[in-house]
Amino acid sequence: MVLRLRDKADLWTLLMPPAVWALHFLFCYVAAAVTCAKFASVNLNRPGTGQILASLEPLRLTIAVATIIALILIGISARQAWRHWGFGIEDPPHDQPTDEDRQRFLGYATLLLSGLSFVSVIFIALPAFLIQDCR
Amino acid sequence: MTHANDAGRRAAQEERLKTVWASPPGWRYWSAVNNTEVGRWYTVTAFVFFLFAGALALLMRVQLAVPDNSFLSPQLFNQVFTLHGTVMMFLFAVPIFEAVAILLLPTMLGARDLPFPRLSAFGYWCFFIGGVFVCGSIFFNAAPDGGWFMYPPLTTDTQLTGIGADIWLLGLSFIEVASIAAAVELIVGVLKCRPPGMRINTMPLYCWYVLIVGGMILFAFPPLIAGDILFELERMADWPFFDAARGGDPLLWQHLFWIFGHPEVYIIFLPSIALMAMIVPTFSRRPIIGYSWVVLAAVGTGFLSFGLWVHHMFTTGLPSISLGFFSAASEAVAIPTGVQIFVFVATMLAGRVIFSTPMLFAAGSLAIFVFGGLTGVMVAIAPFDWQAHDSYFVVAHLHYTLVGGMLFPLIAGAYYYAPLVTGKKLSDRLGRWVFWLMFSGFNIAFLPMHFTGLRGMPRRIFSYPSGLGWDWLNLISSVGAFIFAFGVLLVVWDFLFGLRKRAAIEGNPWNAGTLEWISPLPAPEYGFRSVPEVRSRYPLWDQPKLAREVGEGRWYLPDAEEGQRETLVTSVLDGEAEQCLRVPGNSFLPMICAALIGASFIGTAFHLYWFSLVIGLAGVGAIMVWLWRGTALIPDRQDSKDVGRGLRLPLYVSGHKSVGWWAMFITMFGDMTAFISLVFAYFYYWTISPVFPPPGPDGAPLGPGLLWPAIALLLLGGAWGGMLLARARNGADHANGLRWALILSAVLALGSAAAMLWAPWQAGLNPTEHAYTATVWVLLIWTALHLVLGVLMQGYCLAGSLAGKLTARWDIDIHNVVLYWHFAALTGLTTIAVVALVPLVA
Amino acid sequence: MNVWLAFSSPRICRALGPWLPLILFAGCSGPQSALDPAGSEARIVGSLFWWMLGAAAVIWAAVMAIAAYAGRQRAQPWSDRKAGRFILICGALLPTILLAVLLVFGLRLMPALRAPGEALRIHVQGEQFWWRVSYEFPDGARIDSANEVRLPRGVRTEFVLTAQDVIHSFWIPPLGGKMDMIPGTTNRLVLEPTQSGRFRGACAEFCGTSHGLMNLEVAVLEPAAFDEWAQQRRTATAPPPHPGQALFLAHGCNACHTVQGTPARGRIGPDLTRLSERPSLAAGTLPNDAASIERFIRDPADIKPGARMPSFTHLPPSDSADIARWLEAL
Repeated sequence: MVLRLRDKADLWTLLMPPAVWALHFLFCYVAAAVTCAKFASVNLNRPGTGQILASLEPLRLTIAVATIIALILIGISARQAWRHWGFGIEDPPHDQPTDEDRQRFLGYATLLLSGLSFVSVIFIALPAFLIQDCR
Repeated sequence: MTHANDAGRRAAQEERLKTVWASPPGWRYWSAVNNTEVGRWYTVTAFVFFLFAGALALLMRVQLAVPDNSFLSPQLFNQVFTLHGTVMMFLFAVPIFEAVAILLLPTMLGARDLPFPRLSAFGYWCFFIGGVFVCGSIFFNAAPDGGWFMYPPLTTDTQLTGIGADIWLLGLSFIEVASIAAAVELIVGVLKCRPPGMRINTMPLYCWYVLIVGGMILFAFPPLIAGDILFELERMADWPFFDAARGGDPLLWQHLFWIFGHPEVYIIFLPSIALMAMIVPTFSRRPIIGYSWVVLAAVGTGFLSFGLWVHHMFTTGLPSISLGFFSAASEAVAIPTGVQIFVFVATMLAGRVIFSTPMLFAAGSLAIFVFGGLTGVMVAIAPFDWQAHDSYFVVAHLHYTLVGGMLFPLIAGAYYYAPLVTGKKLSDRLGRWVFWLMFSGFNIAFLPMHFTGLRGMPRRIFSYPSGLGWDWLNLISSVGAFIFAFGVLLVVWDFLFGLRKRAAIEGNPWNAGTLEWISPLPAPEYGFRSVPEVRSRYPLWDQPKLAREVGEGRWYLPDAEEGQRETLVTSVLDGEAEQCLRVPGNSFLPMICAALIGASFIGTAFHLYWFSLVIGLAGVGAIMVWLWRGTALIPDRQDSKDVGRGLRLPLYVSGHKSVGWWAMFITMFGDMTAFISLVFAYFYYWTISPVFPPPGPDGAPLGPGLLWPAIALLLLGGAWGGMLLARARNGADHANGLRWALILSAVLALGSAAAMLWAPWQAGLNPTEHAYTATVWVLLIWTALHLVLGVLMQGYCLAGSLAGKLTARWDIDIHNVVLYWHFAALTGLTTIAVVALVPLVA
Repeated sequence: MNVWLAFSSPRICRALGPWLPLILFAGCSGPQSALDPAGSEARIVGSLFWWMLGAAAVIWAAVMAIAAYAGRQRAQPWSDRKAGRFILICGALLPTILLAVLLVFGLRLMPALRAPGEALRIHVQGEQFWWRVSYEFPDGARIDSANEVRLPRGVRTEFVLTAQDVIHSFWIPPLGGKMDMIPGTTNRLVLEPTQSGRFRGACAEFCGTSHGLMNLEVAVLEPAAFDEWAQQRRTATAPPPHPGQALFLAHGCNACHTVQGTPARGRIGPDLTRLSERPSLAAGTLPNDAASIERFIRDPADIKPGARMPSFTHLPPSDSADIARWLEAL
């Protein structure tokens, strides 16, 4: 069912995977910034109170969920792109002036973008698991 | 029809094309709006600014050549480095992209011109006036001296920084508006002005880059404009956005500046790489390998570049986890960048490379840029950046990326495209000299700086004592800078004098495959003798008969019978012909509008507010005249036209088929980005304040109350509904209905704007008291101004209806204005929701 | 992590020296060099740098070699398929793996570099164009000073960094990375010096006309020597009598400057207590001798444009000389 999202590839389907990356990035940054600013008082107007060591445990779970959602969305996008590409039956360059090649090109480019977005989402999620507190 | 007859007909056609597209002689030449002329002016002006900023750099290198030097006073040194960075970034790097794109894009797209030629000219004159104003300030010892990123509170303090800061803010805001105008034009150009048959998968890679970079400008520049507005309000009216003592935060400016500043690096870099994407296939004698990979890289970089800004703020004390996200994105962006480079290498591997001067510069670019990219990966690791930040290591890094990623490809492009513009080739022998001087000079100057920086030399210091291990390194850098400069001078000499002596060449000197090389050289002002149907990424290689057919006028639009400038408009994805667009011709109006608006900005810098207001209104009036006389032109005899080969196209389309609708749509995206930046400021203050909104004298949170914002919202809803009604009445061919609906809507809109401003006034919110109250005022004023602008548009439509310019058949204006009102309504709704509801929740 | 740290920067620098002429030429040492670390933070970052530089050099050479090969005429160009695979592997997969490794490594480094400090805390406030310094001891006692910080070797010392006027940035390259001093914000930086000696720091964020003249003297003392010095400073004693003191007060210098043990209690300008301890004058701008002090008193803006101190050209030369001699002897 998901596969019928859009039968025809266009510039919007091309932009979907990086747009998901952007939203995920924004979410992680805002969530962390607000958590540290509002709950851990990193502004340090009273330095050394130890609050900077406030744990980011709850945030980590939120970011994990957001990351999984983002990866699933990118996966859906990639599957759709794979279909637009014609399941990789034909190799690039897809440079013929036909509807089919236009569709395959957009599918292939979207597939590549999905790959980049997928890796980038994982990159962005890493800090939440390697950095434990607001210091 | 006899052969001679046929030839005579063709000559007459060509003559008509020439006449219609010719630039006027004498002093009226400066009224030209054609992309060939404007593109040339733009390129030359940007390059002159480059030479100026380069000369400033040499002054700095003289000062820093030896320790304890007093060649420049600290005051002058600070102006020099500020202006060097500012001019290079704002007056060279970004404008040269727009310049080259305006010059080249139509030739690649088989278009006679870009869709809004007068907008290009307006952009150019804005750029010229703003640029001369900013650069000229140093001759009056009044140049900005706070660094090109102008960190407050140093620069908001009118005691510490004088008029220079105002010149920076207002001069550059003015140029930024021009940049956004150019971006709108280029995006619409790529999407809608391709030749028939050129689908999204066959358009030249340069166009892909222009599309992406145009989009990036649209999202990157508005935050800076928003920041400039806050900044100038603090300097002139003492609204404390960046004043920590009154609830503001200097870091907010850093966020807004770098949300612009980092994408800007890629806005500079991608168009130059785009030139490489045209050059490398030509000299590899084959189509590019990995066309889709380049699209991936361009789109991917475009997105990722918006997640890097905090890496300029790694040492501001933000929590590690925030740094971590930006560190991760900064590493991730290296992936698409690497892909681009390997696409070029792969294309060379799969082709038969012919060596040439453009390729020499491309190779030099690769060597320098890869090095800069690798140091970039290093500084993206926050702990290393804590040492490298604001030291000469970063100076070295940024010059490696910008010179390798931007300047060298640009010079490669200059050698490659010189024949297209001038009809002559630059000297290859001299080119080798230029290359080796620039390449060696650059490395001699900047390689040692990595070590100068790690040995502790901070950037922006006007002098240094000896004995810290910096002396020799700096001396070497200074020598290198002069070698580099000599190389640049040599290429300038070749352009100015060498070129004259050389013989003119025939078409397509490099045997390239893309459309821009189809015409005789130098490319005529009308561009194409006829606009072909393109069926390949490299039509000159794959459609061997095309050049002759185009030259003989056998394709579309071979003539200009009606004496009008015409170009084709096609569909976004598949390039199906949709319209024969008539574009306006030469006019002084763009120059006059730019001069008036520019004078208004300059007057503001000198605190001549009444002068600025009057002249600014005159500028708005001039723009109205320009729009009235130059847009939504109603065809005089028939509303469709045979463009050749039996293809009949409408001359007038409205709604989302018209280029004007697209321009409005895209512009409003930029406008919304600026607005969102202001909303971001509001919530930024929420995160940093322990109590937000701050309590008033009665202890309740300060705010504009509920009643008046609610009234404003109701009236706004009515105004928006009035516009929908107006469009519907017009569609029903009911002119009076349209007029009354417009009037109703305008009255409601003005009422809404008044209620918006009355709300904080009656609640006694004092904008100089706290950053919060100032932000509430800014949001409401921003929205009210949008409503007033909307009323202006309604007045324009009303006048159009009365003059018979706007009817059910000729309805471009009403569609575009309704589109504007959708965005205005969204802006109003958001503003009111934020300013009225947040105090309620608190 | 300990394994790679064993390759400390100076060692690498010395080992590479003979092979890389530029480094040999430049050397790594210097009182303000990040490549000559004297603190554990700088040492970690220094090693990180050499590792990254080594990897970068290899990658750069490899890319250049491939490009050079690609630029040569070959009998048989690569097939499209092979070239496409080349983009996938060399352009996308390899960089992704390398960057992921580097990123994980860099992220894991951060918490350790920002671990909390021990015992001693030093408040430093950036001013145009000097440093206001105040030592805070665990018992709450304070010592005020300016333009110089003294640190005990081997102790993780916390710097509390603030600013009033404009943004500055606190940077002692041989000890560790920098941290901005931003009005309205209190930042924190922990440094652990591992070698005693004299070092030099600087303001790294452009802060106005004389940004280039805002330097910091750093002395790392053996813990015992530091304690001894601190003890001396904590028991304030009046300076020996000298005519300069009366003139200092008479000309109103005490409105801005403090000299402990005298009635001078001004807080606007730098604290001048025990000025003679400091190796330099005016934030690393002049040598610390009577002649320089007098020059500075008479016309500060000549030496440091934009400095807030007014000029005292109207003083009788004998007065300014006496004040300078008194200050020199403090």
